[in-house]
Amino acid sequence: MRSVSVIGIGETKMGKLQDRTLHDLIREAGTKAISDAGIDKDKIEALYMGNFNSSYLCLQSHTGALASEVLGLGTIPTVRTEGACASGSLAFRQALIAVAAGVYDIVLVGGVEKMTHRSTEEVTTGIAGAADVDFEVNVGSTFPSIFAMIANRYAYEYSDQREAMARCAVQNHANAMLNPDAQMRKEITMEQVLAAAPIASPLTIFDCSLVTDGSAFVVVAATDIAKKIDPLRCIEVVGSGHAGDTLTAASKQSLTTMRVTVEAAKQAYAMAGLAPKDINLAEVHDCFTITQIITGEDLGFFEKGRGGAGVLAGETARTGRIPINVSGGLKAKGHPIGATGLSQIYEVVTQLRGEAGDRQLANIRHGLTHNIGGTAATCTVHILKGRE
Amino acid sequence: MKGKIYTYSVIHSAAEAFKEKTPYVIAIIEAEGTPRHMAQIEGYREGMPIEIGMSVELAGEDKAGNRVYKFQ
Repeated sequence: MRSVSVIGIGETKMGKLQDRTLHDLIREAGTKAISDAGIDKDKIEALYMGNFNSSYLCLQSHTGALASEVLGLGTIPTVRTEGACASGSLAFRQALIAVAAGVYDIVLVGGVEKMTHRSTEEVTTGIAGAADVDFEVNVGSTFPSIFAMIANRYAYEYSDQREAMARCAVQNHANAMLNPDAQMRKEITMEQVLAAAPIASPLTIFDCSLVTDGSAFVVVAATDIAKKIDPLRCIEVVGSGHAGDTLTAASKQSLTTMRVTVEAAKQAYAMAGLAPKDINLAEVHDCFTITQIITGEDLGFFEKGRGGAGVLAGETARTGRIPINVSGGLKAKGHPIGATGLSQIYEVVTQLRGEAGDRQLANIRHGLTHNIGGTAATCTVHILKGRE
Repeated sequence: MKGKIYTYSVIHSAAEAFKEKTPYVIAIIEAEGTPRHMAQIEGYREGMPIEIGMSVELAGEDKAGNRVYKFQ
């Protein structure tokens, strides 16, 4: 297997971009990534495109071919990947496998979602398809209520996380203030979160990630080729893991340990020859605040039951031992579903290159991304390494 | 027939098909002779105490054949 590196990244601003089309979003992020890679677009041999549900939200399927035409990529093969909220990182993982196997040398990976032009009920319906429609959606559950049930079970098995969950939201909003691409550049207070009305108890609106329009693209290449293109700006992907679990919440072995995360992380750490203590920053899938807490544990940054205490102690803050979601995360940067996994790669590559401006972290070497789909039914974990 | 609450949430914001019912309780139920399953528990009144481990009673099935429980 060949080593693979990221050589180019690009993303749109995330937000309510109702005057922009899918074409527009793809054109901006894709063109930025190709230009950032410093290659001619005829060097791109394939396109993997993550998209969750434009088939319903925009009545647009076949987003691989759509993106290829928008970016003028000629006759190269395209594939659309779908794994709910993990659709983007699945595209990244497929591209890695293809380049590592020697099938291609340079591949473009993209993700896009356009959601905010739909009503809240329509978006809820569109997203609900990431759960089991017969046994969960038609019974009356919603994604917030499924993660609310996880939060209540966590409180029962370990301890109540209401305060730590609020701190995750406050911290992610504060981080987003430094990210020009973030949707929600607005500080919130603990009091606001704790006093908010419930969506699905114990979760309030502040515990939920955003509905977002946006796109992100990356260019990957075999590392030996990447180093010839630009040895200073290429970032090696040293670890990659991908795992799955049952679709329904009721059939999980545990609701308080996400075994997809544990398994995907185990694969990524083993491939990289690294341990959780070697990771200097992580972009994790905070679809709901409780997920950020459980994920901190399942990635090995905290012991089980201690993830919330770690957040409250400031260990995941920008200045902490393991900064989590310095981009603002899904909570405040935004959650353009099919693009989310690639926007996480965008942040970690930007940080490892030392190009993050006001939000740049110091002394970082290894960054991790964690992206889950549905009720932790699909998960990928990637570890990227910056220069010595 | 009885079941036990494995976990639950009170839903205040629902999808289109259920928005007339809010607030209502969704739960994962443990019951003898069947795998854990998701179901609604009927009879919720604002502010009533609900706990994990609490017993609930089978009330019937909805049109799709999914079990519906009720508070005792």
